[in-house]
Amino acid sequence: MSNDKIVEIRKLSKTIGKKQIIKDLNLDLHKGEITGFLGPNGAGKTTTIRMMVGLMKPTQGDILIGGKSIRTDFEGSIEKVGVIVENPEMYKFMSGYKNLVHFARMHKGVTKARIDEVIQQVGMQNRIKEKVGSYSLGMRQRLGLAQALLNNPEFLILDEPTNGLDPAGIREFRMYLRKVARENDVAIFVSSHLLSEIELLCDRIAIIQNGELIDIKNVNEHQQSRYYIEAKPADQAKQVLEEIGFTVHPHENGYLIDTEAEHIPGAIKLLTAAGVDLYAVQPHRTTLEDQFLEMTGGGEIAQAHTK
Amino acid sequence: MLKLIQNEWMKLWSKKATWIMAILLIVILLANAGITKWIESTSPAPESDWQEMATMDMMMYQDQLQNSDLGPAQKDYYEGQAAIAEYRLANDAEPFKVESLQQQVLDSHMMLSLVTLFTVIVGAGIVASEFSQGTIKMLLTRPVKRWKVLTSKYITTMLFALLFAILTFVSIALFSWIFFGTGDGTFLVWNGSEVVEGSYWAEALKLSALSLASTWMIGTFAFMLGTVFRSSSLAIGVSIFLMFVGVQVVFLLQRFEIVKYYLFTHTDLTQFYTGFMPVPDITMVMSLIVLAVYFLVFMLISYWTFSKRDVTA
Repeated sequence: MSNDKIVEIRKLSKTIGKKQIIKDLNLDLHKGEITGFLGPNGAGKTTTIRMMVGLMKPTQGDILIGGKSIRTDFEGSIEKVGVIVENPEMYKFMSGYKNLVHFARMHKGVTKARIDEVIQQVGMQNRIKEKVGSYSLGMRQRLGLAQALLNNPEFLILDEPTNGLDPAGIREFRMYLRKVARENDVAIFVSSHLLSEIELLCDRIAIIQNGELIDIKNVNEHQQSRYYIEAKPADQAKQVLEEIGFTVHPHENGYLIDTEAEHIPGAIKLLTAAGVDLYAVQPHRTTLEDQFLEMTGGGEIAQAHTK
Repeated sequence: MLKLIQNEWMKLWSKKATWIMAILLIVILLANAGITKWIESTSPAPESDWQEMATMDMMMYQDQLQNSDLGPAQKDYYEGQAAIAEYRLANDAEPFKVESLQQQVLDSHMMLSLVTLFTVIVGAGIVASEFSQGTIKMLLTRPVKRWKVLTSKYITTMLFALLFAILTFVSIALFSWIFFGTGDGTFLVWNGSEVVEGSYWAEALKLSALSLASTWMIGTFAFMLGTVFRSSSLAIGVSIFLMFVGVQVVFLLQRFEIVKYYLFTHTDLTQFYTGFMPVPDITMVMSLIVLAVYFLVFMLISYWTFSKRDVTA
């Protein structure tokens, strides 16, 4: 990971009424890195993001973007930021092109050539002159991305960007984001409650719960290697595996064992020799969902998932 | 700032509603001229003698002058009108007929209440619609301070009012020229000591400009409500209600001192030149000061709420 900090969130707090929504949040974001922002509903994701883009004012603390404070130098700090807050709401009564012209005028030095370039980039040349009202959600999302890229941002903030997109749309969107992060060395910050989505997209994940940052971790960090084994009779298989010295966890219809790949063929031989019928032996990766639930101790998402 | 105004102007005219308002305005003015023409041609007014009318006017004005509770502006007005009527009789100077380009242009300022109506609709919606469409999120996450965004919207509203006022003036001149043509007559003014011939164009423009003060105030009020409540229908409703009822309240409050600080006592600046003053002892300077204070209060409330507000929608 590069160490170029582009965003620094310092002791950020937000109190609305008597309720403290965000408590003392600290977070750094780096160039070329996609950071996922994960949390149960109501954990404070949207509030944090709205403070980062100037829609809400922090009660305490500060956010520095490119070293400039959002409180004292709003125009300077937000200059190199691209934003998509939930569904990008565009002016439906104007064409996509006019919408882009509109937002381009609000930045310094966005030329006509740049507008055309961005349109190419998101592949909207054919319908850019049509009214936004006639666009599908996927096209609006692409137009939203186009407007966010207009000013060559060094930092992209996306709040629930894939809400309402179909699987193909989500996939397409993900590819665009990855491309932008890699090619333009842009820092991307994505909030979502779709765990699988975040897992596929992000390099790093920050988890927030009840307004507090509870963990920051890298997605592809080396995990303890685990294997899933399904065999019958199950009890006998368990016995054999324990005799070899593996720790055995029951999982679905079989067992999980913590071990490295080289020990697997030996284990299979021993199991077959003991007369156990093998149905499946496969590497097991803990999903982000499992990790997430472990960390947040269940909570709202767990309940939502079991329903 | 110019670019922001350009943006607002582009958004305004990309909406069908704006074009409908422009067309509606022209159609109403055309119909007004057409109906006047039609009434004139189907039932011509009895050939009345203008000399007779002028004599009656002169007597009426002189009568009014005996009235002791006239304000200074009214006194001037009646003195001037009586002198003009006298001059007309003495010098055989015919006034304009109602069905003439000149008189229609002179009365054009009365049609500006239509402009006020449309300005209220635009002013109330220009901020509120950004909230209801959700585009406010896109608008405020740009490297532009909020007060600049609001200023561009306010200026755009006022430019719209000005454009529509010009459109009204030009349409009336054009339609009355087509329907009635230029009539005979002289335009006379009282300059304080004698009656002289004046330009009816200059007079008409002066009255229109003064009428715009009311458009400006009510437009600003609607703009404030739209900004504060983020609901254009509420802002339009309240503003139009006040536009009609506000003036009536002047009559209710007439006897009380407080009426002098009431907005609608002062919104009609033409009152100093038309003699119709519900509260006689106010002056133009006083009205301008009161309007300026109201304006500042409206602006302060708008800017304060707009720049402090957390956008959660």
